[in-house]
Amino acid sequence: MKKYNLILLITLALIAHSCFEDHTNYDYLDHEVISVKGIDASYNKVSMVDSLNITPTVSSSDLKAEFDYFWGIYETSVQGSAPKVDTISKELSLKYLIRQPAKTWVLVFGAKNKNTGYTKLITSTINVGTQFTRGWYVLKNEGNQSDLDLFLTPTSFEPASTVPNVYSFVNNRKLDGKGLGMNFESTYKSFVTGVNANTRAFFIFTDNDASIVNTNTMKEIKNFGQCFYTAPAVKSPGFIMVGSMADYFINNGQLHSIYTMSSNNGIFGSIQMRDAVNSPYYLSKYYITTSVNDPIFFDETSSSFISAGGAGTMLTAVTDAAGTAMSANKNNKNLLFMGISNTGSTTLAGVAVLADKTNPQLKILSTITPKVSAFKMVNDTLLSTSKLYNATKYAANIGDETLLYFVVGNEVWSRNLTNKFEQLQYKVPAGETITFIKHRKYTTTTEPAYAYNFIMVGSTDGTNYSIRMFNKSAGNLAGTPSVVLTGKGQATDVFYLSPSVNYTTYPNTY
Amino acid sequence: MKKIFLTLLPLIALLFTACDQDSNYLIYNDNAYIQFGPAESRIYTTSYNLSDTTKLQTFYYEEAQVTQDTVFFDIYAIGGTSTVDRPFTLVQENVAGTENAVAGEDYFAFTDAKVKGNYVIKAGEVHTLVPVVLLRSAKLKTSTQTLKFSVVENDNFKVGELTNNWRKVIFSDRLSRPNAWDANTAKYYLGDYSVVKHRFMIDTTGDKWNEEFIVYIKTDFSMLTFYKNTVKMALVNYNNAHPGNPLKDENGVVVAFP
Repeated sequence: MKKYNLILLITLALIAHSCFEDHTNYDYLDHEVISVKGIDASYNKVSMVDSLNITPTVSSSDLKAEFDYFWGIYETSVQGSAPKVDTISKELSLKYLIRQPAKTWVLVFGAKNKNTGYTKLITSTINVGTQFTRGWYVLKNEGNQSDLDLFLTPTSFEPASTVPNVYSFVNNRKLDGKGLGMNFESTYKSFVTGVNANTRAFFIFTDNDASIVNTNTMKEIKNFGQCFYTAPAVKSPGFIMVGSMADYFINNGQLHSIYTMSSNNGIFGSIQMRDAVNSPYYLSKYYITTSVNDPIFFDETSSSFISAGGAGTMLTAVTDAAGTAMSANKNNKNLLFMGISNTGSTTLAGVAVLADKTNPQLKILSTITPKVSAFKMVNDTLLSTSKLYNATKYAANIGDETLLYFVVGNEVWSRNLTNKFEQLQYKVPAGETITFIKHRKYTTTTEPAYAYNFIMVGSTDGTNYSIRMFNKSAGNLAGTPSVVLTGKGQATDVFYLSPSVNYTTYPNTY
Repeated sequence: MKKIFLTLLPLIALLFTACDQDSNYLIYNDNAYIQFGPAESRIYTTSYNLSDTTKLQTFYYEEAQVTQDTVFFDIYAIGGTSTVDRPFTLVQENVAGTENAVAGEDYFAFTDAKVKGNYVIKAGEVHTLVPVVLLRSAKLKTSTQTLKFSVVENDNFKVGELTNNWRKVIFSDRLSRPNAWDANTAKYYLGDYSVVKHRFMIDTTGDKWNEEFIVYIKTDFSMLTFYKNTVKMALVNYNNAHPGNPLKDENGVVVAFP
């Protein structure tokens, strides 16, 4: 009996033990390798026009592999919700008409070996566009009205054709006033899709008007008055731009903002006060900001550099750094120019040209470290014999060479910020007047045919504009421009837009 | 050995029974209780358990011909539904140190035939809204009345949690703090309430700054910030225009916004 009891006990113990699930991995085979070929890193497609036609080649180190396939697509740059993968096919070959709104999407391909359960995933970027989402946009004015010309660039940054006056063509009106500039916000909140969502939008501003435009359709989202909860009595935009935590609109020298770190409906708020006693101020049109720094402005009334958060009631005073050559506050200067000379949260630097209010003959070139808590200026008093002393327009070289470009008459010059060497870079043809100069670069790797790094010179003969875009070597402009855009009117800004461009692509500066 | 075996065998058997799932639920089947609570959408959010205990009401914004207004509170029966309607009983409690509303003069008494039929949990339901009808008496122009009331035990219900057996309405015919100007709104946006500040905000923006308006602007942070900054700047401008004599409220405190 004792023996039977023991056998029974051991048996019961074994039965109980059999409940355990064995998770031990005894698979000592080589790791399976699935290869997928034939899917590009990115595709550029026009919504409701182009299709994806892809048949990848799939192979596996498992010679007996049999595959299940799936294709999916999901949205990027989504706020307020998690993007979901929309399965668009379960076949190896994909034939799919792009229906998505214009922006960047991600295509996913999956191949699952039915024998092993192992899956290989491949992703690819799809730049979905419309006829409006890629090309050079030129802000120009004819008389006292402004419009946009669009230069289409189907294969590279080289323009292939032109859609003149595209803004008024779509919106049936021109902007009042003379164009000042344009900026791009890829996360502007609007209801163009029926719900409050990120919208790719142009901020277009003239000296007497402003318009926020959906770049997918070129339709106006908000006119000047609709940009504010209460439309300002005076229409005098200085700029609209994108900061690290807010979008900013300067009108009549007064700062309005949209705090973009919380829900908003794309309307600019009340005027921010200069200080706790609401001292008068008037902000210059020149500013510096990046996607990681609060902006730096200049108050022309008090001759002070100043900053602002997006949610605050008041502007933020800046504090001088030790060893600064000049105080950032109440320095009795007029700001002739300010721009970014280097980007990055820790390397952000700017360059400014100032003239003394009491003695306008005293002009200073200043390289600045635009930190709100430690604002540093290194000054270079300009000799009246220098070319820069008589400059009328300026463009900072952004992050490439320590140069400042400037205009004297119909000539473009450069000045080395280190050794003060000045050099003639370009002279526009006789009869033309330079209307702006700018340094812009698009350092894309996903669409290399569109990458560029140009010094842009806009000019007019009184009737037509020319924008010449020069490559540069060691800061020196090439002998001939790589791109020339021409059209009617006077151009004041040019902006390259593609579905991959977002609000951080170009530094926000004058 | 046999003893050990006899001991182990039941133990092993017990171990196996531990895997069984108990599908029997314990059903509450005791007395019915009644108590106030938050709005239905918030009954499972514990932080709202004690919300809505006091509501503020004013006839200030109403036209002159408006003589009465109704304030609603949520009330809940505990212990399941019933096949018959179950009236509940409300009684006024006096609050020391305040002007207590007078039944029939400042509000319809809970026993008044005009309203008594409303104080019922309907058959098959466990929730209803308790209407309290306030009357626009002349004294509300110069005074603020307090009406505190509680549920008391009757044939249908015992009284639930003591912290939720009462509600209070504070009302007047003067400008007064809307409910939406709550502690959070005061701390971050509008500051402490005062009638003078409230009047200043109305005069500055032309908006009513009543319950409906504040609830509306609080749905959008940027809009709330816009209004906060607007009144704040107006106050600074007022103080600048009156040097040494900043705007003070009815208690002599300098008006300020956060």
